[in-house]
Amino acid sequence: MSQPTTDSATEETAESDDRLIETEVSVSETVTQPAGASTIIDVGDLSVYYHDDQALRSVSMEIPERQVTALIGPSGCGKSTFLRCLNRMNDLIDAARVDGTVELLGQNVYDDDVDPVALRRRIGMVFQEPNPFPKSIYDNVAYGLRVQGKADDIDLDAEVERALRSAALWDEVKDQLDKSGLELSGGQQQRLCIARAIAPDPEVILMDEPASALDPVATSKIEDLIDDLAEEYTVIIVTHNMQQAARISDKTAVFLTGGELVEFDDTQTIFENPADPRVEDYITGKFG
Amino acid sequence: MASEPTDGGTASDRPTLTMSISQLRGRIFELISAGATIFGITVVMGMLVYVARDALRLGAADPGWYLVFFWTLVVPSLGMAGYFAVRDRAAGSVAYAATGIPVIGILVAGGLVIVFTELIDPQEWLALVFALVVAGAIISAHQRYRPQATFERLLVLFLTPILTLYGIPALSVDRAITTPLTGTELFTLSFSTPALLPSVRELLFVLPILPAGWILLLGTVTAPLAYGFGRLIAARRDDERGRLELVAVAVTVVAIAANIGPLVGLSAEGTILVTTALLVPTLTYLEGVVRRREGFAGLAFPVVLVGGTFVGAVLATSLGFASPDPWLDWSFLTSAPSRTPEDAGMYPPLVGSILIVIVIAMSAFPVGVGAAIYLEEYAPDSGRLGRFVDFLEVNIGNLAGVPSIVYGLLGLALFVNGVGLRDGIVIVAGLTIGLLILPIVIISSQEAIKAVPDSRREASYGMGATRWQTIRHVVLPEAFPGILTGTILAMGRAIGETAPLLMIGVADSVRSVPDGFFDIAAAMPAQIFSWKSELAPEFRTGVMAAGVITLLVVLLVMNGTAIVLRNKYQRE
Repeated sequence: MSQPTTDSATEETAESDDRLIETEVSVSETVTQPAGASTIIDVGDLSVYYHDDQALRSVSMEIPERQVTALIGPSGCGKSTFLRCLNRMNDLIDAARVDGTVELLGQNVYDDDVDPVALRRRIGMVFQEPNPFPKSIYDNVAYGLRVQGKADDIDLDAEVERALRSAALWDEVKDQLDKSGLELSGGQQQRLCIARAIAPDPEVILMDEPASALDPVATSKIEDLIDDLAEEYTVIIVTHNMQQAARISDKTAVFLTGGELVEFDDTQTIFENPADPRVEDYITGKFG
Repeated sequence: MASEPTDGGTASDRPTLTMSISQLRGRIFELISAGATIFGITVVMGMLVYVARDALRLGAADPGWYLVFFWTLVVPSLGMAGYFAVRDRAAGSVAYAATGIPVIGILVAGGLVIVFTELIDPQEWLALVFALVVAGAIISAHQRYRPQATFERLLVLFLTPILTLYGIPALSVDRAITTPLTGTELFTLSFSTPALLPSVRELLFVLPILPAGWILLLGTVTAPLAYGFGRLIAARRDDERGRLELVAVAVTVVAIAANIGPLVGLSAEGTILVTTALLVPTLTYLEGVVRRREGFAGLAFPVVLVGGTFVGAVLATSLGFASPDPWLDWSFLTSAPSRTPEDAGMYPPLVGSILIVIVIAMSAFPVGVGAAIYLEEYAPDSGRLGRFVDFLEVNIGNLAGVPSIVYGLLGLALFVNGVGLRDGIVIVAGLTIGLLILPIVIISSQEAIKAVPDSRREASYGMGATRWQTIRHVVLPEAFPGILTGTILAMGRAIGETAPLLMIGVADSVRSVPDGFFDIAAAMPAQIFSWKSELAPEFRTGVMAAGVITLLVVLLVMNGTAIVLRNKYQRE
């Protein structure tokens, strides 16, 4: 369902440069750049290997706090791998090996004394396919609070409501919190997953192409939601859709095949005036 | 394009849509597949009919008897079934459920009656339930007040049930310690300790008066069961009162039945168990039918079945037709084996088999599921250990194919010669067959765990859940129906195993019912096997068939339970 959207987006940008400029104008209107936002995640020389294949080549990046950072690039360019390094989800894959540093507020998360479980409690994640648990809506949202041992000290009902409101889902489900999360539509499921991720109040939310399995209406709801979330959380989002990146992000990182970070800058700069000719080729559709 | 003439110049090169593409090979393959299916089903059905004919001795009845029942039972029920199939499908499903649920209830109740008359009396049952409730209360209190003490919790989890059930009993050991191989005596271990802590169970027996057995059963079986089933009603109505109503109705009716039962010669305990198993699920189902206001007509079906049987029986008797004289009757199920075919029964082997199945379930289920969880969730995929795990998995598959007689030999070596248990007792039989089905339990549990999508695990880890939390809250709840189905199907296979039983010295024919898990057992398949070598031909033509049907019905009840449980958990 996502593929046509992405393709047509690419085609459009390829067909006319005017269109692209229009997009850029809208970017400059919507994005307000807080000057000198402080860095929350500082990535240094990060390389990832699966067996002998290098999936990420020595990537360095400073991700600002309470902004939306988009990671774009063609398939297989390592952007998802990069995202999964930030909360050490790659630890779950036996074959993956990680070099370099990822510092969350000055603490390298790959230090020996860092517990990946504790790390993931501060960095939430939303996946490509909506993956709610086969439990009730309420239990889905409360899951994080329960496994993190916070459920006993707080008003669980209020926290579930807060998370569902933040995910713009409360009005649709408030009368059916006992219903299974799997009975919701695809877009609602993805917002449920977002509510689940923000319920334990993490500092950073990672999103791995959260709208790629959804129809355009659901996609625009998710995009609005990401905009709102950036007021409270740092959002790092992988996307295939360049217009989506232009619409919602403050910073954009462009990865190209081979796991290289080609350019990382303000979204406006990337789309209007990229430094690297390959980035220009990519976003105008000549490559990728 | 459509306007082009079909015989035009350019069109003739193109394939036309009406040209048929040969599907002959596909059709032949389809027919062969269908033929194989029909052949298989027909052979199995034919065998069952053949056995059932012998077991029920259908040939002994007058044609008139068949005619009577044809008109009173078969024609009305088939007519109704036809009407439901054509006109009112909703009523049809109500009809079959309303017939099937009480039948399964009665069969399960039969098993419960055996357990309560042979294995455990109501007072002991109460003590057991009470001790476990106390243990549960202590465990949950500990969890509430000291949620962080993980190690302590593990201790509490293991020790509390043991202490409430057994306390710290007096211990007296007097045993010679020998070297394992040569058997040379090293020293004699001899000591005894006084009883330090009485168990909750024993404390209960100190009470001066315990209520009568039937009141205990009412409180510990009927009420909790009705409360559990009431959850379904409460959920349907979105109203907690549904539970209490069901409990009130069930307890009242069962209590009345328990007082009427003894007047007509039934035991009060048996009456309670049978009426409970009959009433509670049926009431729950009926409540749903009334609520949905759909398929009321279906409720007439069980009434027609029972009424037709009754009218038929009265008519046939009054007209003087001879009824069939089945081998498989009430006395067959309730009496001990005998040398004369007419007196031969199957009660001790039936009880023995049920006890053996309990041991199998309690040994193979935890070990098998534990192994499956380790292999799927913890064991590494790569490296030296990963290769070792692969090797193990291949060999578990091989073990599933090892002939059962070899497991018999293993059980004999391990439990009789090794541990020193008496041969032919319930626990040895259960543990040996438990070993036999262990690989099947492991493999089917592994499949069930594999079927849980990885995206769910990732979601859980991404929320900051530990591996244990992920397994406990995400993987196991979703894999549980599959694990349960696989295990119960494996136990269905286990209950029919004969070869290992012969190997570990289970007696062919035992007249007394086993007194517990350490007593000599008889088992149904061994008993059926022994009837084959009896002198009187009726054993081979009739009694054996009746035994086979009994075995199959027990198997059917087990598999039916598996299906019901699976459907229930899948819906949640």
